[in-house]
Amino acid sequence: MAVTSKYFSGSERAHEEHHEEEHDPRESLMFDPLPRGVMNDMVMESMHTTSWKFWLVLGILAFLVATCFFYAWGYMISEGLYVAGVMRPSFWGIFLVNTVFWIGISHAGTFISAILRVMKAEFRRPFTRAAELMTTFGLIQAGASIFMHLGRVWLAYWLFPIPNERQLWPNFHSPLMWDLLAITTYVLGSTMYLFLPLIPDLAMARDRSTGWRKTFYRILALGFRGTEGEWRHLTVAMNIFAFAIIPVMFSVHTIVSWDFAMAMRPGWSSTVFGPYFVLGALHSGMGAVAIVLFIMRATMKHMDYFIRKEHFDALGKLMLIVSFAYAYFFFNDYIVQWYGGDLATDNLLHWLEGGPMAWMFFQMIGFNIVLPWLTLWNKRIRTTPWLLALIGLLINVGMYWERYVIIPVMLTINRMPFTWRLYEPRIEIFLTIGTFSMFLLFYMIASRLIPLIPVWEVQEGQMTHSLRKVGKAHLPTITEFE
Amino acid sequence: MSLMVDLNRVGAKGSLIQEEASGKWGMVIDQDICTGCQACVAACAMENNLPFVMEEDAGYGRTLHWIRIERFWEGEYPEVSATPFQPMLCQHCGSAPCEPVCPVFASVHSQAEELNLQVYNRCVGTRYCANNCPYQVRQFNWRDYHFLPFHANDFDGQLVFPLHNQLNPDVTVRQRGVMEKCTFCIQRIHKAQDTAKSEGREVEDGEFTTACAQACPTDAIKFGRLDDHESLVSQLAQQERGYQQLHELNTLPRITYLKAERAE
Amino acid sequence: MADTTFLALFEDIDPAANAIEKLHEMGVTNDRMEVMSGVPINPRMLGRPHPWTNVSRLALGGAIAGFFFGLFLNFGTPNLYAVRVGGQALFPIPPGLIILFEMTMLFALLATFLGVFLESDFPNYRSLQYVPQISDGKIGVFFQIPQEEQQKFTDALNELGAESVEPTEARQL
Repeated sequence: MAVTSKYFSGSERAHEEHHEEEHDPRESLMFDPLPRGVMNDMVMESMHTTSWKFWLVLGILAFLVATCFFYAWGYMISEGLYVAGVMRPSFWGIFLVNTVFWIGISHAGTFISAILRVMKAEFRRPFTRAAELMTTFGLIQAGASIFMHLGRVWLAYWLFPIPNERQLWPNFHSPLMWDLLAITTYVLGSTMYLFLPLIPDLAMARDRSTGWRKTFYRILALGFRGTEGEWRHLTVAMNIFAFAIIPVMFSVHTIVSWDFAMAMRPGWSSTVFGPYFVLGALHSGMGAVAIVLFIMRATMKHMDYFIRKEHFDALGKLMLIVSFAYAYFFFNDYIVQWYGGDLATDNLLHWLEGGPMAWMFFQMIGFNIVLPWLTLWNKRIRTTPWLLALIGLLINVGMYWERYVIIPVMLTINRMPFTWRLYEPRIEIFLTIGTFSMFLLFYMIASRLIPLIPVWEVQEGQMTHSLRKVGKAHLPTITEFE
Repeated sequence: MSLMVDLNRVGAKGSLIQEEASGKWGMVIDQDICTGCQACVAACAMENNLPFVMEEDAGYGRTLHWIRIERFWEGEYPEVSATPFQPMLCQHCGSAPCEPVCPVFASVHSQAEELNLQVYNRCVGTRYCANNCPYQVRQFNWRDYHFLPFHANDFDGQLVFPLHNQLNPDVTVRQRGVMEKCTFCIQRIHKAQDTAKSEGREVEDGEFTTACAQACPTDAIKFGRLDDHESLVSQLAQQERGYQQLHELNTLPRITYLKAERAE
Repeated sequence: MADTTFLALFEDIDPAANAIEKLHEMGVTNDRMEVMSGVPINPRMLGRPHPWTNVSRLALGGAIAGFFFGLFLNFGTPNLYAVRVGGQALFPIPPGLIILFEMTMLFALLATFLGVFLESDFPNYRSLQYVPQISDGKIGVFFQIPQEEQQKFTDALNELGAESVEPTEARQL
């Protein structure tokens, strides 16, 4: 749009005059504007372009979903939970690990699109949608994992507070009930929050597609035209969502942690679990965003215009800060448990540091704390997309181990030594592969169906950014439009 | 004017627990005379329709026993020093950790009998109760063990389960996916109450007993009324040797163990 | 009415604002004018009145409804079928606060979302006045004037930098 180029025209001249300056403002997406029509076409083209590799990966993932998710789950439902590795004392196994893990992944989306929106962190603009999609698809996997773990999943509707022939309501004393309500709120809330900023982009896609896509976008865009009233309702609603979904997000993972913290078990009964889990969720979520951005940039057309080094840089800084906070809570949790000297807790800590799963415990410290601290202070590492994605991947491995340590490994040790026994996952391994494949499959399909870049938000950002001459220098300036 | 706060209303558990601390039915287990013969385990399985889980599952920690004999030892054979046998079953806590965590009210407290109940038909199998039980006495039906083909005879393709003939008609057979645990033989309690009611009297101490207590050859397990101070269990529970498992967790167990004093 | 709707397209905010001012001078009132854009533009920048929205009120209403639903769940349902568990009160307050919070938020968010639908008349699949250039970032000013005055308005707006001024018809989006 010409608005942007007009604001920018001064700075372009400035650039020519000061070409010896080290920092070129056009490295930043906000200072490198393109006309809206060009950006629209770039996003549309990225959605339409698929190579044979895309279909090959899609086919493999679809096969994995069919076998490892649907067939394996169906087999488990028809045979009984004995095909899984859960037993006494590890009544909860990888299913709950997956649940906590996926809810953790889902926190990144809310964090980036809500907290950074409220804080007006401008670098968020091009990848809010990519992160929000992770929220929705991650929560689907989390929900599926909860239902997988139920002994009689066909009666799962008994958990919902609906009038029924038994005239019995669910038990609101139960942390699982709080969990159900919180996750329901979060799933619905984050899906609506994904959809609202998507409407203008769907309208954009509607205007420039034909055939079945036209029908698809026409239905989803709901007849959005961009009148003043529509924009006003939309921005007010998005503002409400941004503020309201933050406490919901904190409550969700806190309540998930309460599933453990409320229980009368050594290692679990900890008051710091709430914030510890929230930070852990952000830790894995940020890492996952780095992976997704890297894959998007590497495989989708034109994404290197929208997703730039500055975004990886900002993400790397966030990951480092989150890892500091994570380390703080980790230390806090363990030192309190250790210093207390309670016999059952003592046994548990010895088991963690010296038992057969000690490798997992130490890898978790290595990947979650040591690795980010050693690497992410370096700008060159932060701005190298594949390196940041690799670090993000390792952080996610570490966070998965963290949940694994907290659930089945900690469940091994209880106050009745007679029942101690190490958990061995069986069919859970396939189901875990199934949930991961399903997440990736959904994401791949979505990447070709909905605009992954919120074009209107990018354009809005580019319109509000300009260079202002202060003395001899031209400095980045943001105009508040609202 | 003093400020009165009903602790039950605001969620503190104190006063309600005190009311229920005494309990109605209780058990005393004398570890001094327990020989670890497992007769109680077998009797419980027969009385309460517990299935045979077979070797593989039993070896993997999926035994279905409402009562188990715990024993520990130190050192290498033959220089082992063993602890006394410790029969472990549901303690029927007055303030049971397993109860509030169930989202569907499958684990509830019986106000009338002051027992901890498991309603099999309501259970959806979240297994939270089992995680939260500090005694680890809750059992999960990982599969339909009663219908394992191994237990059946094959008559021209038709599976016939002879073991089903020995099922106790007073007790249900549990479906897979539900949690179960010791009921203090609630079917026997109800039978005794019905008899007493038809005769117009209260249930007397010693009138009936649980399957495990009945089968115990040394009478190490005794069952009776706790609310009757003259009863055998009440008197035994007052002994100096008496202690409760994990007393410090304030679960108010209804089972008193009598500490073993014999030298091992 | 004999009036026809015309559409003037602008590249930029400034000419659009000037054009709207001109239209006001020429006697087109705000309610005979509609502005569409590809990005949210503050109506103040165009010299247009702030559109009224009920979304936040609906959200508040939803929050209140959710609060009472939470009250019913936590303090109502236990009375319908009283079950005692774990030596706890029939409805202890600390867990109740969680239920209240979640239900309040859920209903507030749902009401906000449905509020957008309600206020914007979504979903709307009828024929509407629209051109695809708007989602390309153009600012479209729709205004209703009598057919015969077309030339006068076209000249005035072209002078102010309009890319095109043409009569429009409702079309299937």
